[in-house]
Amino acid sequence: MKILLSAKNQAYSFDCDPGEKILHAGLRSGIGLPYECGTGTCGTCRGRLTQGEIDNEWPEAPGQAGLRRDAGEFLMCQCVARTDCSLQVANVVKPMAPDGFVPATVGSVIRRSTMLTHDVASLDVNVAEPLGFEAGQFVLMSVPGVVGARAYSMTNFERKAKQLAFVIKKKPGGHVSEWLFRGGIEGARVGLFGPLGVATFHPGIGKSLLCIAGGSGIAGIMSILTCAAEARHFDRYRGHVFFGVRTARDVFFLDELAALRARFPDALDVTVALSDEGINAGLEARYPRLRFEAGLIHAVAGARMKGRFDNVRAYAAGPPPMVDATLRMLLLEGRLTSDNIRYDKFS
Amino acid sequence: MGKKFLCRTDECPRNGMKAFETEGGLKILVANSGDRYYGYQAMCPHMDVALEEGFYDGAVITCHQHLWQWDVRSGTPMGQAEAPLQQYELHEEGGALYVVPSDPVRQTELFAGLTDETLAAIGRLARRETFEEGSVIYRPGDPADDLCVLESGRVQFTIGHDEHASPAGFSLRSGEVFGWNALLEDQPHRIATAAALERSSVLLLDGRELFGVFEKDPKAGYLVMRRLASLITQHLTPMGAR
Repeated sequence: MKILLSAKNQAYSFDCDPGEKILHAGLRSGIGLPYECGTGTCGTCRGRLTQGEIDNEWPEAPGQAGLRRDAGEFLMCQCVARTDCSLQVANVVKPMAPDGFVPATVGSVIRRSTMLTHDVASLDVNVAEPLGFEAGQFVLMSVPGVVGARAYSMTNFERKAKQLAFVIKKKPGGHVSEWLFRGGIEGARVGLFGPLGVATFHPGIGKSLLCIAGGSGIAGIMSILTCAAEARHFDRYRGHVFFGVRTARDVFFLDELAALRARFPDALDVTVALSDEGINAGLEARYPRLRFEAGLIHAVAGARMKGRFDNVRAYAAGPPPMVDATLRMLLLEGRLTSDNIRYDKFS
Repeated sequence: MGKKFLCRTDECPRNGMKAFETEGGLKILVANSGDRYYGYQAMCPHMDVALEEGFYDGAVITCHQHLWQWDVRSGTPMGQAEAPLQQYELHEEGGALYVVPSDPVRQTELFAGLTDETLAAIGRLARRETFEEGSVIYRPGDPADDLCVLESGRVQFTIGHDEHASPAGFSLRSGEVFGWNALLEDQPHRIATAAALERSSVLLLDGRELFGVFEKDPKAGYLVMRRLASLITQHLTPMGAR
């Protein structure tokens, strides 16, 4: 099917395979269509159908709340074309940068799944073709027999990765995560579409890093820290990592964070905050390189960073209320400009 | 049309912002900065998110959805924002704020920062025309006499004829200009089709008369032509990128 897309600034045309989401078809053609979550919740990939027919695969998607459906508005991440279509997007749409990674559908096989806490697991997959991605990006994962996809950030970082590592949080009622937690999934095939996301880190930005993560939001931050460590970014710039969880039984990746801290003892500091209980003496004894605090992670980070926001690039990842509170802190207390704040709201 | 009551000044927090509605149903974001009050469109021009839910520190308004930002004094976009905020003139009297009916010429980005005198001269040139949904504003080959300012509605542009026609973007923000070849030398004819996608109100400004105004105020002419040049580049893309 041919899609004729009229954006605010110019028009594009691209091919869309049967059953393929219009958003995916446009992105894999190198067109920088607007999106944020890719999974029907944020409403960013809003388009307006002016000609042709589409099928909406998830009419109840929460991201449709603000759409004017009578005017033909729909979510490109949830709709497939049934015929050739003409559509409009109200945004300025630019071609993707030629040096960036154009997202594509990638086949993959689950290699290993390991429980990290009572409701968080790590997931390693082998990809059929090496996947290039930037530190901090995510993919959409679809599993057999489940309609729809979930967004998961890579925790690893390699130039051309043959293996991807993810952190999966068990969501009650979340069909994809429930499938991933049911056990015996090693060897199963899962579909990936990516890389996606703009909360990326490039070595050479010439700024200190401030990473604030809530729960499984630490995934993309680990990729960024790995990339920064590999590029010796912390030889010249500071890194401030804040990782928030509810209780002591929800922590994970502390060994990895302590190991990073050991490599850059003067440049890197790591603070773990527990929101639902006081400071845990056992954790403090076990991880002398990490700092533990009680409180919500955005507040802990705001207090610790006071007076140290100069020349900082901030990354925020986690549940939407946590990301919103963090953005507010960064803008109003940190007085960061918005181009120095990177986040993806897809949790 | 006279001014309309919007809110009491004490209803808007100090160095804070809050949205209010006039009796006619016009929603306006009121932002206080020191001893001044500013009025802006209540919804973000990006994705119709209520700006009231965003962040404001007394100087910069930030939409919480994608962190588009604006200078509270002018509504000028900052950082990643791609569009300005439409400003409403507020009049403070007896502890209350009133909305002064806006002049569409003053809302036009292309004319921002011109002197009151020049804006008034441009305003005198403007002719208002309403186009019904589906009607054509101009076609290729039509005389390119007028610069068009969208007052309300949505206008789509198409290049080429008949089966070779392809869309080329559209205008949907109040204050956006199109039909700019009225301000270019040796471009006497339209090169695209402009059609109203919904009922649209358009202000028409004769290009030659506009140049007459700029001859009296060359500073204004320089500013406008500079903006026009960047406007045109925004629509140019290497063919290979398509």
